[in-house]
Amino acid sequence: MPRRSSRSLHIVLAVVALAACERRGGCTTAGCGTLIDAAVVEPPTLLPPSTEDIVASDIGEQLFLKLADVGMSTNTDGDEDFQPLLAQRWEWDGPLTLVFHLDPRAHWQDGQPVTAADVEFTFNAYNDSVVASPFRPKLQRIEKVTTRDSLTAVFRFRERYREMFYDAVYHMRILPAHLLRSVPRDQWRTAPFGRQPVGDGPYRFVRWQAAQSIELAADTNFFLGRPGIRRLIWRFTPSLPVAVQQVIADQADIREQLVTPDFVERAKAAQQLAIYTYRGNVYTYLDFNLRSADDSTKPHALVRRALTMAVDRASLVKSTLGDLGRVPPGPISALVGIWDPDVRQLPYDTAQAARLLSLHGWRDHDGDGIRDKDGQPLAFHMLVPSSSGLRKQYARLLQEQFRAIGVRAEIDELEGSVVAQRTGSGNFDTALLSRSNDPSPGSGITQSWTLAGFGGSNFGRYYNPEFERIVQLAISAPTRERARTLWRSALETINADAPAIFLYALSNIGAVHKRVDNVQFRPDSWAALLRTWRIPPDRLIDRDRVER
Amino acid sequence: MTGSAWLLRRLAASLAIIFAVVTFIFILIHLAPGKPCSENLEPRICDLLTHQFGLDQPLAVQYGRYLVELAHGNLGMSFSLRRPVLDALVETVPFTLQLAGAALALDFLLGLGLGIYQAVRVNRLPDVALGNATLFVYSLPTFWLAPILLLIFGEKLRWFPVGGASDPIFCPAVTSLFCVADRLWHLVLPATTLGVVGAAGTARFQRAAMLEVANQDYVRTARAKGVPERQIVLRHQLRNALLSFITRFGLAFPFLLTGAVLVETVFAWPGMGRLAFNAILTRDYPLVTASALIASTVVVAGNLLADILLGVADPRLRVQAAAEADIATA
Repeated sequence: MPRRSSRSLHIVLAVVALAACERRGGCTTAGCGTLIDAAVVEPPTLLPPSTEDIVASDIGEQLFLKLADVGMSTNTDGDEDFQPLLAQRWEWDGPLTLVFHLDPRAHWQDGQPVTAADVEFTFNAYNDSVVASPFRPKLQRIEKVTTRDSLTAVFRFRERYREMFYDAVYHMRILPAHLLRSVPRDQWRTAPFGRQPVGDGPYRFVRWQAAQSIELAADTNFFLGRPGIRRLIWRFTPSLPVAVQQVIADQADIREQLVTPDFVERAKAAQQLAIYTYRGNVYTYLDFNLRSADDSTKPHALVRRALTMAVDRASLVKSTLGDLGRVPPGPISALVGIWDPDVRQLPYDTAQAARLLSLHGWRDHDGDGIRDKDGQPLAFHMLVPSSSGLRKQYARLLQEQFRAIGVRAEIDELEGSVVAQRTGSGNFDTALLSRSNDPSPGSGITQSWTLAGFGGSNFGRYYNPEFERIVQLAISAPTRERARTLWRSALETINADAPAIFLYALSNIGAVHKRVDNVQFRPDSWAALLRTWRIPPDRLIDRDRVER
Repeated sequence: MTGSAWLLRRLAASLAIIFAVVTFIFILIHLAPGKPCSENLEPRICDLLTHQFGLDQPLAVQYGRYLVELAHGNLGMSFSLRRPVLDALVETVPFTLQLAGAALALDFLLGLGLGIYQAVRVNRLPDVALGNATLFVYSLPTFWLAPILLLIFGEKLRWFPVGGASDPIFCPAVTSLFCVADRLWHLVLPATTLGVVGAAGTARFQRAAMLEVANQDYVRTARAKGVPERQIVLRHQLRNALLSFITRFGLAFPFLLTGAVLVETVFAWPGMGRLAFNAILTRDYPLVTASALIASTVVVAGNLLADILLGVADPRLRVQAAAEADIATA
C-alpha cells in the first residue's frame, strides 16, 4: 500500500511538472509572441491629456484610440492621407464643421460602447485649463465639439485652415467618460486611472511594476482585428547605454532610438538585431535671448547673423552624428513635410562673419583675442543641460568656432530642471535647446517662434511681424502648393533674422529583434503600428511561448 | 536601568538628528535653483502646476504644512510619479534593503574572511598578494566598476542580466522558488559592485586589527599554554579584533545608501536610491524629503545598532556608559 501511494505521488508530481512545463512553453501559434521595449523613461501616468511623456504616448497608442490617425506619409494637410480608427468615416458639413461617424463595433475594455459623448467629454477635458494638458494650445482653433446621436460627433472650428482635420484627430486620444466623469479635473494628474487605465485600443493594461515595467496584453476582441503579438512589455532602464546593452544582449527586443553612432555600430554587430532608419522628430538649436527691452544689451541681428555664419554646421553634424543627423533648413525636424534642403540659409563664411562684427563696431581693441566695443567684450554664456552628452559636446565645438572669430562663449552646464527654469524666466544669454515636433509645420513653428509662443516655448521671444504674417498665410493657404511656397518663404525669413542657430535634426535609427516581421516605424510615433507587427511561429523563442 | 537611560538618551538624540536632517534637506532643496518641470514643458503649464502643488507659497508656509502632514503620517504626493510618496517608498525600500543587505553580507563576510586569512599568513606570499589585490579593488571607483561588470558579464558573456530586478516575463513578481533564484541572479552584479569594494576595505581593516591583537599578552599566554592555533585565532584574536569591525559596520550604512544611488541607476535596480536620484533631478520636493527621512533613519539606526553591539562586545564601554549616565542623573 505505501509503495502504491508512493508511485501515485510520483505520477502526480510528474503530471504537475509536465503541466508546469506546458504552461511555460505553451503558446506556439501565430498569435503568440512577446515584445520587450528597452525604455529609458518611466511615464508618470498613462492618462493621455495629463502627460506628453514620449513613453506614455507610445503606450497610449496601444490603449486609447484616436478618431483617425496620420498615415506613413505623415502628411497633415487635408484629410486624404488619414486612416480611420474610432471614426468609421467622416464628412464636411460646411467649411467649418466636421462630422465624425464612430465605428459601432468600438468598445471600452470594460464592455461599454464608445460613444460620441466620449468624444465631446474628451475635447472638454483637454481644453480645461485645470487639467493643464500640454495639448491644449494645439486645440485652440476648435470652437466646440457636440453630439448628434450616440455615434456622431460634430467638430465646429473657429476658422478655416489646411490642417483642420489634423487638429481634430491627432492631439486627442478619446477617453471613457463613464469612468472619468466622476474624477475631479484638478486630480487628473494623480488619478488612479492613470496607473490602471481602461482603454479601447488593441491592447489592454495588465500590470505596472513601479520603476520596472509596464505590461499590456492583446485584446483578442479588438474591433479592428486581433493584434499580431500578444504581449508587450516596456522595461524601464534609467540609463540609455544600459538600455542599448539589454537589446544587444538579447534581453529586450526593441530600442527605438539608438541615438549615437557608437550605439548604432554596436547594435549592427549584434547578429539577432535588424536596424531600421526613420525620420526623427527632434531638432536642436542655439537660442538667442531677445527679451531685453534695451537694444544695447539685446544681441543685434547683425551679430546673430555673424555668429551663425561662424559655425560650420555641416561639418559639426558629420563629425558628431555621422548619418544620424542633418542640418535643418530652419526650425523644423526631419519629420515635418515642409523640409526642403534648398531653403536659403546663411552660409558658413567666417570672413564675412568677421566683417559683419567689425562693421558693427566689434573689434579686438586690446589685443586679447576677444572682440570688444565700448570696453565690453563680445562674450556670452551658453546654457546646456548636463543630462545631454551630445549637446555638451556640441557646446564645446561651438565654443571653439566662436573663439575663432574673436567671440568668447562660456558654457554653463546645468540640470534640466534649472535649464527649464532659466529659459522659462528668460534668465539666459543663449541656450542649447532641443524641441520635438509633431508632423505639422503650423503647430511647432507657431508654438516656438511666434507671438503665440510668448510664455510658452518661444523662450527667446523672437518676434517679426512679417514672419508672423507669412506663417498665418501658410496655415490658411488655399492650396498645398501655395502653402509650401509660403512655408519656404517663412523659413527663409527666420533664417535671415537668425534668432537661433539651427544646428541639427536627428534621424532615428532603431534596433528590433530579427524574429519580428512586418516591422513598420511610423516616423512621428514608432509604436503607432505595433498592432500589425508579427512573429512567425517558426521564429518564436522562449519568451514568446511563455504562458502565465 | 542605566543601560535603558543611555538607550533612551541615544534614541532622543537620534530623533533630533533625523528631524534636523529632514529640515535641512527641505530648506536646501527648496532653495536650490530649478522647478519641478521638464525642459520641454511650456512655462505657462509649469506655472499652473507650480500653483497646483502649492509651490508658490512662502517657504515657511510650505514647511509648516509639511510638518503638519508629516505628523499625520502623510509624506505628500510625488510631483514626478503622480502618486503618494508613501506608496512609492513602500515599493522601493525593500529593493534597496535587498541590495544593501546582499552588499553588506558580501562586504563583511568576504572582508572578514580575507582579513583573518591574511593576518594568519602575515608577510607571506598569500598575504602580500591579497594585500595588493584588495588595495587594487579598494581603489576602483564604483561608477567605473558598474558599467565594466555590465559590459563583461552582461553584454559580452551574457552570464547575468543587464539590469533590472527580475525577469519581466517569467517572474514579474517573486511567487516561487524559481523567482527567488531569479531575484538572486539579478542581484549578483549590483551587489558585487557595491559589496566587493567595501570587502576590500574591510579586509584591510580586519587584517590590521587582528595583527594589533596578535601581540597582546593574552594571545602570547594562550600560545605558550599550547592552545591550538585555530582556537587562538578565533577565540582570542578575532573576538578582540571585532570592535573595529563593528565600528566599521555602523559606518557602512551611509556608504551603502550613497553607493546605492549610483548602482541602482546603472543596474536599473528599482530601489530608493534611484528614486531619490530622479527626485532630485526633477525637483520632486516631497519625494526628496521623504527619501532623506528614510535614509537618515536607516543611517542613525545603523549607528545606534553598532553602538549597542559595541557595548555588548566590550564590557569596558558598558561601564563607561553607566558612569556617564550616573553623572548625568546626579
